[in-house]
Amino acid sequence: MLILGIDTASPQVGVAIGGHEGVLASFHSARGRQHAETVTPAIEFVCRQARVELREISCVAVDVGPGLFTGMRVGIATAKAIASALRVPMIGASSLDLLAMPVRHTSRRIVSVLDAKRGEVFTAHYVSAPGGIQRIGEYRCETADELVVELMAEHENYLLVGDGALRYRDVLSAVENVEIAEQSLSMPSASALVQLAHSHALREQWVNTWELQPLYLRQPDAEINWQERQ
Amino acid sequence: MKIRSESPDATREIAALLAAVSLAGDLIVLAGDMGAGKTCFAGGFAHGLGIDDRITSPTFTLVNTYDGRLRLHHLDVYRLDQMHEALDLGLAELLDDGSVTLIEWGDVISPVLPSDYMEIQMDYDDDDELVRTMTLVQVGGSWATRMPEIAISLEKWSC
Repeated sequence: MLILGIDTASPQVGVAIGGHEGVLASFHSARGRQHAETVTPAIEFVCRQARVELREISCVAVDVGPGLFTGMRVGIATAKAIASALRVPMIGASSLDLLAMPVRHTSRRIVSVLDAKRGEVFTAHYVSAPGGIQRIGEYRCETADELVVELMAEHENYLLVGDGALRYRDVLSAVENVEIAEQSLSMPSASALVQLAHSHALREQWVNTWELQPLYLRQPDAEINWQERQ
Repeated sequence: MKIRSESPDATREIAALLAAVSLAGDLIVLAGDMGAGKTCFAGGFAHGLGIDDRITSPTFTLVNTYDGRLRLHHLDVYRLDQMHEALDLGLAELLDDGSVTLIEWGDVISPVLPSDYMEIQMDYDDDDELVRTMTLVQVGGSWATRMPEIAISLEKWSC
């Protein structure tokens, strides 16, 4: 089984291919051009380096966010297009889960903190579990100050990971027993995506192309009231 | 603060003066009916940022971006029906990339706007079709400190 993983939910573009043997090839660039200009050449590059033809792919995994709107949708649209063309199923994974994956070998409570811009962060809590991570509670969109209050309310030992944790390092490190993971771990990676997707695929937890939805978190339902304005 | 513009040229001049005191990260919301001069204001504002391109209404493109002394994102939310569509434009990212953002009809999406911006309400004059009254209201603190300076530079139009 070969999985193609695409991650464009953060300022970084990531593409990886892997399966039972682990990750065969990966590409990450945090300083590419627009996501839309980088992702397709990156897919070609990764396929070539892994000596895999696109038609051999049996599942397309994609980071469904939360994350940067424009980037996220480039990745999801690209992943859906490839999955439709190849007629293969998809697996969606949250950017916050992907952040927590590489730091899971810890006894600390892991908190993924992605920069949501405009003073807000996307967050989720995890504990290490056999073979992976287990999320505790909901995915949230909150301000850095709200996160501080939330962390202070529970007296855990925390490991914070993500570009949001680095951006708001000053306020977050005021909380006791907080450690912040370094820069190289601060964005979701396509390799973690392929790894996570592989464990989902073994359990046949895939979705159809038309069922896969982005995870926006910041989605007010309200209609714009043009009448009231007049 | 209320000012009175006698002509589109005056509106452009006023906008350029506001552009001169704009800082990276600023948001200006333009309110007012069709034809109140929002796009005219945007043109003057862009010129004030040193942008030479002709500024066209982003009603159909939704977002236009120009490079000047500061980058300018020019949005028009007139065609939107849902609040979340404003976020779908990548509003959070546009407001956080070190540029200045102008949003036409932006008052209707105030629930999804940040807590800090300048709103300019543009109104017709009943007696003179060229005249517009502009009401400047600062929301949040970032514009408040600049208001004395703005009041001086716009003094000759104040009413």
